[in-house]
Amino acid sequence: MNGVSHGVSNSPRLGGRLTAARVQACFFGIWTALVFAFLYIPILILVVFSFNSSRLNIRWEEFSIRWYGELLSNKVLIDAFQNSILVAIATTILATLLGTVGAWMLYRYKFPYQRALGLLIFIPMVMPEVLMGVSLLVLFVQFLHLPLGFLTLTIAHTTFCFPFVLVGVQARLQGLDPFLEEAAMDLGATPLQAFCKVIVPYLMPAIISGALMSFTLSLDEYIVSVFTSGAQSQTLPLKVYGMAKVGLNPQLNALSSIFILVTFLFAFGSYFFNRNKKP
Amino acid sequence: MSLIAAVSGIRDTGVYRRHPSPLAWLVLMPLLAWLFLFVIAPTVMLVVVSFAERDALGRIVYDFTFQNYIRAFDWLWLKVLFSSLWYALLTTLICLFVGYPVAYFIGRAPLQWRGLLLMLVMVPFWTSFLIRTYAWITILSKDGLLNSLLVSAGIFSHSAEILYTPFAIVLGLVYNFLPFMILPIYTSVEKLDNALIEAAYDLGAGPIRAFWQIIIPLTRPGIAAGAMLVFVPSIAMFAITTLMGGGTNPTIGEVIFKQFTSGRNQPFGAALGSILLLIFVLALWITRKYREED
Amino acid sequence: MKKTTTLLLSALTAFLVGCGKAPEAKKLSVFCWSEYIPQSVIDQFSKETGIQVSVENYASNEEMLAKLTAGGGQYDIIQPSEYVVEALIAQKLLHPIDKTKIPNLSNIAPQFLKMGFDPDNSFSVPFMAGTVGIVVNTDLIKDDIKSFADVFKPENKGKIVVLDDAREITAWALLSQGLPINDVSDANLEKVKPVLANWLPMVKVFDSDSPKTALLNGDVAIGVVWGGEGAILLQSDPKFRWIIPAEGTHLFIDSLAIPKTAKNVDNAEAFMNFILRTDISKQISDAFPYTNPNLAARKILTEEQIRNKASFPSDEEMAKMQVFRDIGTQGSKVDELVTSLKAQ
Repeated sequence: MNGVSHGVSNSPRLGGRLTAARVQACFFGIWTALVFAFLYIPILILVVFSFNSSRLNIRWEEFSIRWYGELLSNKVLIDAFQNSILVAIATTILATLLGTVGAWMLYRYKFPYQRALGLLIFIPMVMPEVLMGVSLLVLFVQFLHLPLGFLTLTIAHTTFCFPFVLVGVQARLQGLDPFLEEAAMDLGATPLQAFCKVIVPYLMPAIISGALMSFTLSLDEYIVSVFTSGAQSQTLPLKVYGMAKVGLNPQLNALSSIFILVTFLFAFGSYFFNRNKKP
Repeated sequence: MSLIAAVSGIRDTGVYRRHPSPLAWLVLMPLLAWLFLFVIAPTVMLVVVSFAERDALGRIVYDFTFQNYIRAFDWLWLKVLFSSLWYALLTTLICLFVGYPVAYFIGRAPLQWRGLLLMLVMVPFWTSFLIRTYAWITILSKDGLLNSLLVSAGIFSHSAEILYTPFAIVLGLVYNFLPFMILPIYTSVEKLDNALIEAAYDLGAGPIRAFWQIIIPLTRPGIAAGAMLVFVPSIAMFAITTLMGGGTNPTIGEVIFKQFTSGRNQPFGAALGSILLLIFVLALWITRKYREED
Repeated sequence: MKKTTTLLLSALTAFLVGCGKAPEAKKLSVFCWSEYIPQSVIDQFSKETGIQVSVENYASNEEMLAKLTAGGGQYDIIQPSEYVVEALIAQKLLHPIDKTKIPNLSNIAPQFLKMGFDPDNSFSVPFMAGTVGIVVNTDLIKDDIKSFADVFKPENKGKIVVLDDAREITAWALLSQGLPINDVSDANLEKVKPVLANWLPMVKVFDSDSPKTALLNGDVAIGVVWGGEGAILLQSDPKFRWIIPAEGTHLFIDSLAIPKTAKNVDNAEAFMNFILRTDISKQISDAFPYTNPNLAARKILTEEQIRNKASFPSDEEMAKMQVFRDIGTQGSKVDELVTSLKAQ
């Protein structure tokens, strides 16, 4: 794919190598396409059903855009969606910071009880959400005397999201050339500068992956949100989860479809934008 | 990117990891504070509650008792726990198998494509979990799309039971956790040095051997991370299992959740949770120790 | 320039202080089931009274209990089911209501007032009632189904959906044995254990949230579900039939109540009165086809709504129904029994 060979050309297996690499690329490409199809099939169904005139989203009746219209006037749903996005963004920022800096500090320095710290980090991932939700509720209300709202919600979400970032960054750190930082500092950088200008760019794929994971986890979180949110910070899952009783409102399909469309536009847009910006 | 580092996979040399300066302690403070307040404190509360009793309403009564733990070590709950662990393991293995090639493809794709592809992996999960799962139910149900397709193509003679089976459960779990395997593996693949891979081929390794014996071991940190990020959360996951599996197989997450609802027995739920935590912490401790003694 | 700035600053301060000292905005904090009070009703209430309403939702009684008892959230209105009302009253967690402020209470049919869990309606007013019954897809099952025993016949194995509620299922087992549903003593649990052991493996799907999905999808042919689900199924396709089991069933009543810690009791009582109004009650029935206890509202419902047997059981059927009482800590024994049989 981008493997331009250099120098090693007179090997009798040259032809074989190129074909092998291409076959490999082809095979993996097809596999990836199939997996993407798998990932997107329910999304396709859900978008199609957003145009279904039937209220009960089980059978296709006829084409209709009424749900999109109704969605626009459904203040409750839209507010909830906005809250979800806000909390997800705040969570992503906090979790990424905590996870990245945490992973670096644990890697770089020898802190006492290192192993214990490493284990503690996994606890939010293992602990069943209801336990975390209830104990955080008690902590917030009875010990910290915090009103339930955006702050408590963000704290709760960040707590179970940052381990995902931390683990990912730790994995990326494992292949780090230990002398990279030293080299930077030999050239006059402070540890902070070395971190920002050398380590962080190296960690970028892991940081971005962690951020994507945190955002996703936070957007859909229900159980923890039940216990740690207040009246003004109701997120979408909280409003949606009881809806199954009368049938999931197709306005939700409409909402998700619009959101996906916007994200696609953004993603493809920045791709084309960057493409023209060739270095 | 240095070849030495890629090949040797250096973890920590004693020389490199310094003792922390006061400034380093300061920088670590936020993480420590966070861990203390929002991880340690709730865990302590959990353990305390697990030794408590409850009143008729299900509220906690702080009388010390072992009964929750005695009750927890019943074969019934252990069976449920093992069932959940088994599903988690299966999910992790399948996610690894399905997701690795995708991560490899994205990691070796042209630079401008990678961000886009990564986002495309995640975007389906920015829809509401419930409608996504109900979409699967529509697809897999007896009168659903998959069955209609298979029957009209002549592969099946009549509609099969796909939904509400263990197959559906695993499908649902794999679907929801696949990105959490793909992304970490991607971060390991992304830093693979081309020169190294070509060297492998040049040395006469066939594509399969090169892949198996060189590339996969080099991406081991990513694989380990992905496995953790799929296995650990999926143990206590129950919403998917209940919806796709019809609720016939209780999972440990569901059992614990029910203690906080219909069971009205929060201390017992806390005990079950503590046991789960303990098992996990022990397993991790042992594997870490084993790796360090390598 | 400086003078203008000082003027502006003082105006701003005065404004801010003034805002702080303004009379407390009329507020109401409602904690209720999802999809149970239509948003249009809430909006209308705000418009008519000027009270700002904030709504939080829960998906089960115990979720509400867990949050309430952990001290989270100051709620003025909660929407507990009948056995929870009883438990809350016993634990002195409810604020008594001033019935003089709720004249519309007279709209409620007498059979829904002064029920066992709140003998004098001192703490709660009925919101909506419902029942549990059998739904049959007559395209797939041609037999005449009349009772629980008919549902759990061997030929129906793998075709059944039931509610994922241990207490419910145990209640049906008790009914099938002629035992009272609230008598969940250890002895009775032993008696119904073989019944449950027989029934549970036959069930294909356990679903309390949306059992209609499995029925509509054709994955199951028969179910024991909430009346509301039954009503929606009857509305959607004539092939579905609704049957009240011959052994009897239970009636549930969701009420509105005021927690002890409520801050806006007057507004809460105004809200209760509002909900009990005839036109508002009709709005709720239009949105959700449950059993409306409001007699005055029933008079203005459409023919189709009244004729929906799942929404409005007949009087003889109602006479056979029992109501859940609080069973306290026995709840976990029931839960464990059902879980152990499920996990076989």
